Amino acid sequence: MAATTAISTATAAAEEARLLRLEEQAEHGGGGAWEYLSLARRLRARRPAPVLRLGLSLLNDASARSRLASEQWTLYEQVAVAAMDCQRVDVAKDCIGVLSKQFPGSTRVGRLEALLFEAKGDWAEAERAYALILENNPFDQIAHKRKIAIAKAQGDMSVAVDYLNKYLELFMADHDAWRELAEIYVSLQMYKQAAFCYEELILAQPTIPLYHLAYAEVLYTLGGLENLQTAKKYYASTIQLTGGKNTRALFGVCLCSAAISQLTKGRNKEEDSSELQSLAAEALLKDYKQRSPSKEALIAGMLKNMKLS
Amino acid sequence: MAEELVLDTAIRDWVLVPLSVVMVLIGVLRYFVSKLMRSPPSSSPSPDPKTVKEGQVVIRARSLRTSSQFIPAKAFKARKLYYTNGESGLLHVPKEDAQKAQAAMFSDPNMAMDMMKKNLSMIVPQTLTFAWVNFFFSGFVAAKIPFPLTQRFRGMLQNGIDLSTVDVSYVSSRSWYFLNLFGLRGLFSLILGEENATDDAQKMMQMGGGMGFNPAMSLGAEKDSLDIIQHDWALPKMEHHAEEVLRKLLKK
Repeated sequence: MAATTAISTATAAAEEARLLRLEEQAEHGGGGAWEYLSLARRLRARRPAPVLRLGLSLLNDASARSRLASEQWTLYEQVAVAAMDCQRVDVAKDCIGVLSKQFPGSTRVGRLEALLFEAKGDWAEAERAYALILENNPFDQIAHKRKIAIAKAQGDMSVAVDYLNKYLELFMADHDAWRELAEIYVSLQMYKQAAFCYEELILAQPTIPLYHLAYAEVLYTLGGLENLQTAKKYYASTIQLTGGKNTRALFGVCLCSAAISQLTKGRNKEEDSSELQSLAAEALLKDYKQRSPSKEALIAGMLKNMKLS
Repeated sequence: MAEELVLDTAIRDWVLVPLSVVMVLIGVLRYFVSKLMRSPPSSSPSPDPKTVKEGQVVIRARSLRTSSQFIPAKAFKARKLYYTNGESGLLHVPKEDAQKAQAAMFSDPNMAMDMMKKNLSMIVPQTLTFAWVNFFFSGFVAAKIPFPLTQRFRGMLQNGIDLSTVDVSYVSSRSWYFLNLFGLRGLFSLILGEENATDDAQKMMQMGGGMGFNPAMSLGAEKDSLDIIQHDWALPKMEHHAEEVLRKLLKK
């Protein structure tokens, strides 16, 4: 499994590089605008400014547009979304107008229209539009997620949590939603709930170190001896998964072991036997020496305070 | 070897070529008819909420089962209870539901309708052409393939001729029809585009595969396998691994 993820990340990186190269080429009049736009769509890259510029120039060119044939409608959609990202509501409105004339009654266009309301900040209208879509198809994941996004954009976190919970009751295998919920819970300081979400994320994708790290941080924040010990273990697993490159995890191990020794006042034999914290401290020192020598003294002092070096 | 049979050129002009042309035309026609008859895609996928939810539950339960060693014991226990706890667990399948599921699949009128349409567009033209070929062109040799074949090919190439003395490399007209029926797939994918090929074999496969999935059954199976797994927390071991990683890093 690790090998396949490595390959897929490698190809993803190559595609991204290709995207940037194509962007450069197209921006300087070297052609390949359509290839660039197709690739951006496939990678779901969010580069609204170039997409808007290149897409509009394609759409305004009648011969180029007719060459695209039925592909032009996807381009209209792409440009509309990019225009909304750039706050060019007028352009978006035109694109959506063309699309709704071509596909009357389409859900996909309906979503775009709702998105336009959102871009204008017309929350009530947008919410009504999404509710309509959901009435026709209660499994429209995008509409569900947009509704959550609206609640979040209004700063109404409790409603967002409510919607997210409802969404997750239906689509409980959607780990992006779990991550969103976890982050909202952290921002609301509801750490126990956040911990649950991170557990869910770790279950779904156990090889992603960021989830281990986030879970450890939530546990550390919760405090208490047991949570601290668990947090230290998760910091350790993050170190293992990242090959010791994650500074945050190294700090985490140091902080956890300092907090644990404070709580147990050195009575805990089991913790003392582990060398992890001193190793982590050493790794930190080495890292700082290499990358930021001016701050090395600070780190050394801090670690001394924690009695780690 | 028996002496060569001389095939009349009229056979080529009035049987061999027309038969192939008609087969191609029918294939193209069938494609367009089935396209017309296909119900619009927007109305067909309106999945039942229960099925969607059950599918998601199964995915989530499976990830709990496969990576249970990555979460603390307490968290695992809570989740296991949540999934498998008697009647209220998420993976619990009511008895009558399990039996109903199979029946519901057959009684779903939409699905049956769709299948019938597909079948109809496949079977009706086939029957008609077969009858037509049988009526007009039965019982004579229509072509000769340029290489010899063994006796086993007789059934395939000389359908409709009950003579054992004719060389196997002669093709009867009915067999020519069958060869066309199954052999034109490549041509259709050229004419109608790659994905539009009227691929009968694939249609059959889809039909068979579509009936197999039964969420109630996979729920039960998932519950059973969750019931028996032992939780073995991998994190304590991770600490030692992390130590080794750091040691290696420091040595560099």
